[in-house]
Amino acid sequence: MKPFRQILTVAFAAGALLGCQKKEETLKIGLAGVQTGPDGEIGTAPIRGSQLAIDEWNAKGGVLGMKIEAVTRDDEGKANQAVAVAQELVAAGVKAVVGHFNSGCSLPASEVYHQAGIVQITPASTNPQVTERGFKQTFRMCGRDDQQGDVSAKFAFDSLKVTQVAVIHNKTAYGQGIGEVFRKTFEAKTGKVTLFDGLASEEMDFRATISAIQKSGAQAVYWGGMYNQGGPFYNQLRQAGFKGAFLGGDGIYDNELIKTVGAKADSLFITFGPDFFHSEVAKPFLAAFKKKFNQEASGYTIYGYDAANTLLQAIQKAQSTDADRISEALRSQSWKGLMGDAEFDQKGDLKKANFVIWTIRAGAFAVR
Amino acid sequence: MRALLFALMLEILVNGLARGAIYALIALGYTMVYGILGMINFAHGEIFMLGMFGAVYALGALGSAGLMAVGITLPLAIVAAMVFSAGFGILNERIAYRKLRGAHLLAPLTSAIGMSIVLQNFVMLSVTKGKVDFPRAIAAPLADTTWTFGSWDLSSIQATILSVLPDVWARWMASKWVVQSVHLSALQLLIFAITLGLMGLLFWLIQRTRLGIALRAVAQDRTMASLCGMKVDGLITLTFALGSALAASAGVMVSMYQGVLRFDAGYMMGLKAFTAAVLGGIGNIPGAVIGGLLIGLAEDLTSFTIASEWKQSTAFAILILVLWLRPRGLLGERVADKV
Repeated sequence: MKPFRQILTVAFAAGALLGCQKKEETLKIGLAGVQTGPDGEIGTAPIRGSQLAIDEWNAKGGVLGMKIEAVTRDDEGKANQAVAVAQELVAAGVKAVVGHFNSGCSLPASEVYHQAGIVQITPASTNPQVTERGFKQTFRMCGRDDQQGDVSAKFAFDSLKVTQVAVIHNKTAYGQGIGEVFRKTFEAKTGKVTLFDGLASEEMDFRATISAIQKSGAQAVYWGGMYNQGGPFYNQLRQAGFKGAFLGGDGIYDNELIKTVGAKADSLFITFGPDFFHSEVAKPFLAAFKKKFNQEASGYTIYGYDAANTLLQAIQKAQSTDADRISEALRSQSWKGLMGDAEFDQKGDLKKANFVIWTIRAGAFAVR
Repeated sequence: MRALLFALMLEILVNGLARGAIYALIALGYTMVYGILGMINFAHGEIFMLGMFGAVYALGALGSAGLMAVGITLPLAIVAAMVFSAGFGILNERIAYRKLRGAHLLAPLTSAIGMSIVLQNFVMLSVTKGKVDFPRAIAAPLADTTWTFGSWDLSSIQATILSVLPDVWARWMASKWVVQSVHLSALQLLIFAITLGLMGLLFWLIQRTRLGIALRAVAQDRTMASLCGMKVDGLITLTFALGSALAASAGVMVSMYQGVLRFDAGYMMGLKAFTAAVLGGIGNIPGAVIGGLLIGLAEDLTSFTIASEWKQSTAFAILILVLWLRPRGLLGERVADKV
């Protein structure tokens, strides 16, 4: 069955390629990530960012004399769907992929891209394992959980002066991973993790867990999960009379979180990239995004935008669509993006991850 | 420390019962439909979810009409959601089940699963794929109004008990019995009140009215009931409407309790409520209530004493255990009571 399937895939890919050559030549770039389901909103953000970047390149005449065609696929945030999407993209003849969003999707999908020899840049998958498997053409435009969990734990211990924290996660590769990193750093700093527990990612009633948190004597809560649960969790903590700090990773950085917790939310601390909303370089981007999609750009939009831009610049520099050449080009220099200078190391991680602590002030995210 | 633990245990009871009451309300719909048609309405969780959205839309409409007082808008929204869901429940029966009533057991089951997928995707595509926040102005005053009961000094009772017991016990009861603050929110009280009220109404309807006698008759023997001149189709429609309305009221309370709602909210809730119905003995109305409360309590106790990770395992482990010991559920054999 398996060889047959491979032959089929190759035949299909070859067919797709031949089909392309008949028409005007285009360069296909895959945009993959979650667009429906619980993470649908936050996952659509980077895809739209990438889309905008591709549109801008096309307006300037494309890359290597070819128009760029975005092939967008929804992996529904599910690992099995991510593999199917990856195979579809390979079969469609994409030369590179910007995606996926969830770490749990990027991990299995990258195996497919690795086998097919396709460059992949994820704008958001922060699980360390994504770049730890020696895949030469896997890159990420974001930091790693061991970096942001670390930043969070140090902040809690050094700045908030708390010594006892409860870590609650959503049982996903991302949530549990980041929770474990937090625990490791926090305990290394002689702090105590009083409770380490996970909840299904569709659970919305946290009251029993909150009682357990209160029992454990925690002074603060670290949430390893997404905004859709983070908001209700925060609200229910406050309703139960828990007054300590609420810390979380980039997964809760979404405007929807503020809608849920309200403008008055206090002691809520999030690790995310630096503030680009107020930087001069980002202004044209923010305006263009608003014009195209009729909504404000959210945190992850810019990751998608920078990832696509960096990829296309590297293709331009490599003067080739060959995966090895592109990967080589990506590692060869520092790339100017809206988030600052990005430089990749041998693994494909950013050399300098720039997580900072954010909080909610006057109804908007603000750097603390 | 022990006093705090005791207080939190009481809080767990309150939270678990609130959760269980909601399961029970939804479970009633499963059990009533099973009682009367002998089928599992797997689209019932989606009816619950539609109730959530119905209430939010009703609140939006009332808000734009200038009505703001929670005391007026909330009851109106609950009624609107109940009517909305009942409508969907009736349509659901007409479209997906009525034609299949005489068919093989698997046909309506498959149809129900199909209906569930259709409704879920319908809401996802036509309303939103993201979450919707329940209006804070309505839910927050209720959720934030909490009463703290507490600081009962039970040490005199403890001393009395200890004076009768042999000395060995004193070692085990060394720490003083003091109950520290237990939180109870207005929202939880409202959940208990509405749940009890609606269940009371349902029991009254089924046990004390002519309509209830007719419903029970159809459940016992559909053919015989129709031979006696009862409008069987109408009564089945009524069963769907009642179950859907109860699910909708549960939907409104869950969306206030959790603060957010989403198109897929009915899946897990429906599954748990179905488990509750089976646990209590499917087809049996008091059984559904007991099953719901048991599962709610078991989940929260597990979260508290073991870990939240084990919560779902416990609910289903209890189900397996009960079915093993009592294959027809806790109250399953009282066939005469089923509706």
